[in-house]
Amino acid sequence: MSKRRSVVMNRWSVVIVAVAALAFGLVLASVSSAQETPGPQAKGKGKKGKAKGPSMPAPRNKDGRVTLGPGAGQTGFWGGGGSITGRNGASLPTNLTADEVPLQPWARALWQVRQKDGQKDDPHARCLPPGGPRQFQTPNGFEFIEEPDRKRITIVFGGGPRSWRFIYLDGRKLPPNDEDRIPTYFGYSSGHWDGDVLTVESEGYNEKFWFVRGGLPHTDALHLTERFSRPDYDTLKYEVTVNDPKAYTRPWDGGFTVPWTYTNWDGFPGGELQEYLCQDNERDWERLR
Amino acid sequence: MRIAKIGFVGAMMWLGAALAPAQEGHPLVGAWHGNWGVTDKDRNDITVVMMWDGKEITGMINPGLDAGKLQKASLNPANWTVHFEADMKDRSGAMVHITADGKLEDLTNVRRSLSGTWVQGPVKGDFRIKRDN
Repeated sequence: MSKRRSVVMNRWSVVIVAVAALAFGLVLASVSSAQETPGPQAKGKGKKGKAKGPSMPAPRNKDGRVTLGPGAGQTGFWGGGGSITGRNGASLPTNLTADEVPLQPWARALWQVRQKDGQKDDPHARCLPPGGPRQFQTPNGFEFIEEPDRKRITIVFGGGPRSWRFIYLDGRKLPPNDEDRIPTYFGYSSGHWDGDVLTVESEGYNEKFWFVRGGLPHTDALHLTERFSRPDYDTLKYEVTVNDPKAYTRPWDGGFTVPWTYTNWDGFPGGELQEYLCQDNERDWERLR
Repeated sequence: MRIAKIGFVGAMMWLGAALAPAQEGHPLVGAWHGNWGVTDKDRNDITVVMMWDGKEITGMINPGLDAGKLQKASLNPANWTVHFEADMKDRSGAMVHITADGKLEDLTNVRRSLSGTWVQGPVKGDFRIKRDN
């Protein structure tokens, strides 16, 4: 091979490698782009599963009140909440730490036992429905469906045993605590809007579940006052007052924020709750025993 | 009097049914079944129903016409020991005082158990009860 021919071939090799690298880069960019969230914000640097750039204002209904669902023509749902204790991550900076929660002595001791044994008896691992704040801490997200004609909000949950919860907005009182009230996983909820804040009073819970992840105990005396607000399109602020005089020495507050999810839970485009059933191929319970 | 007794039995049955769902709250709340006795062969069936109002543990032994109301019931969460007393009729119909001291086992299991010493009048034995689902 002549020296000139060798030089030409080397130049061609460089060009071919450069073109291949460029093509590979374009493919990578396209894949990466497909995994990023196609949210309402078109500009800015985003992470997978999160919106790009500053959030848009929260959507409003025809009466001008903030809504908790997607904006007109949009998709998406809420998913990935924090904890009502502790101040890390999505938890509110005003939260108590677990040690500061005013537990009665028996409840604190029971909570410590649950921590020590790795929470192996968590009813959620047996696919029992999670009431209270736990319902917003469950993977696979949740969605508010406002039903003004029926004066209620239905919350549907994409995780756990695929359950739902009604919040009545017709001004009804909670059922009296007598023999006719059947304790339930999600309790009985009556709410109202204070401006842009949805305030919900709930009680009538059974004791078959852990009302928060981590196993803080509750009893059938649990009364929750929940406040839902949406400071911007991508953020749901959840605040709750826990009042259970059989398990705590006084009422206490906690909360967290939940991000808006533009993709499906698995990261693919769509922004729709997907079918998921905890009971299908459930293996946690045996593993935890 | 008969109506009052029937009403009492009905109330006890309702109470047992109402307590059945509880399992993750106060560890003593619920209906417990088991037995007590002096030897492994000589056992006496017992049912203990316990409730928690936020300050006191209340309840009864053997709900029904001859139920014994729990007295001085307490739980020490430092070691999960339990104490309760009651006055109730024995097999012969005579009133006897019962003192039970036990320890909770398998605490986080809905079918947790409570066992220990059972003193009924002059007789000292042991008891083993398990919480219903």
